[in-house]
Amino acid sequence: MNHGEPIREILGIPFNLSNVLMITVSTLIVFIIAVLCTRRLQMKPTGAQNFLEWVVDFVKGIVNSNMDWKTGGRFHLLGVTLIMYVFVSNMLGLPFAFYINGDELLWKSPTADPIITLTLAIMVVGLSHYYGVKLQGPKKYVKGFFKPMAFMFPMKLMEEFSNTLTLGLRLYGNIYAGEVLLNLLVNLAKVSIIGAIAAFPMMMVWQAFSIFIGAIQAFIFTLLTMVYISHKVSDDH
Amino acid sequence: MTGALAAAIAIGLAALGAGLGNGLIVSKTVEGMARQPEASGMLRTTMFIGIAFVEAIPIMGVVVAFIALFQ
Repeated sequence: MNHGEPIREILGIPFNLSNVLMITVSTLIVFIIAVLCTRRLQMKPTGAQNFLEWVVDFVKGIVNSNMDWKTGGRFHLLGVTLIMYVFVSNMLGLPFAFYINGDELLWKSPTADPIITLTLAIMVVGLSHYYGVKLQGPKKYVKGFFKPMAFMFPMKLMEEFSNTLTLGLRLYGNIYAGEVLLNLLVNLAKVSIIGAIAAFPMMMVWQAFSIFIGAIQAFIFTLLTMVYISHKVSDDH
Repeated sequence: MTGALAAAIAIGLAALGAGLGNGLIVSKTVEGMARQPEASGMLRTTMFIGIAFVEAIPIMGVVVAFIALFQ
């Protein structure tokens, strides 16, 4: 089973229906989780509110370890959204994979597509540049490129591109490789009864490992977002 | 046939790099935890961050191997 892409043309623009569906599903799930956890807010949190408070506190720790709260507080909600969205996206491809028309993959993790992860990475790096200019003024922003040593300017330019590429491709590679291995294990189980008996414990182990990797990659994405923003926005290193 | 050979070389070298890199990271972390057990929480978090960084490029090698395999 290949990873075919169901591409349909709407008004002359080709859309990958799988991406459209999975992004919608992921957005809805994150929204529902956030709404359900904040019904009946109380000063002493009980039940589901505890979970969301833990997430908010965790991201506050990430922001605080990179910038002071005065400049970093405005990125707190961005971090909470990113970590929840990337985590839910990574988990979506693990329970099922639906194929239509033979080998077009309809249900997968949206982050198993390089377009989506690179879009997220470009958005994050673009945000860091925008906030660099907005919070420090254009002159200090341009001077920051020549900051440690003036001849490092080409390397600092390259650093922006390589940061974007590795941020996007790291997330894509981890999730895509996990999904391909899930596919291979299912194919092994289809071959023979011995194959099915052998594939069962391997599938359990690989599902658990994929959940772990999905969580770690969501954390790393949010952490690197805050690190890149802190490099542009505050300069007390 | 050449697709499978290219995929095997790519994933073999990627595994070599990831294995060596992760081994160095975790061995230094274990050493640090043995010297100072009260810092083990911070060391563990930094270890996971380091492993995610080091494994990024070998994972891209894995993706290249999959692309080469199905050609």
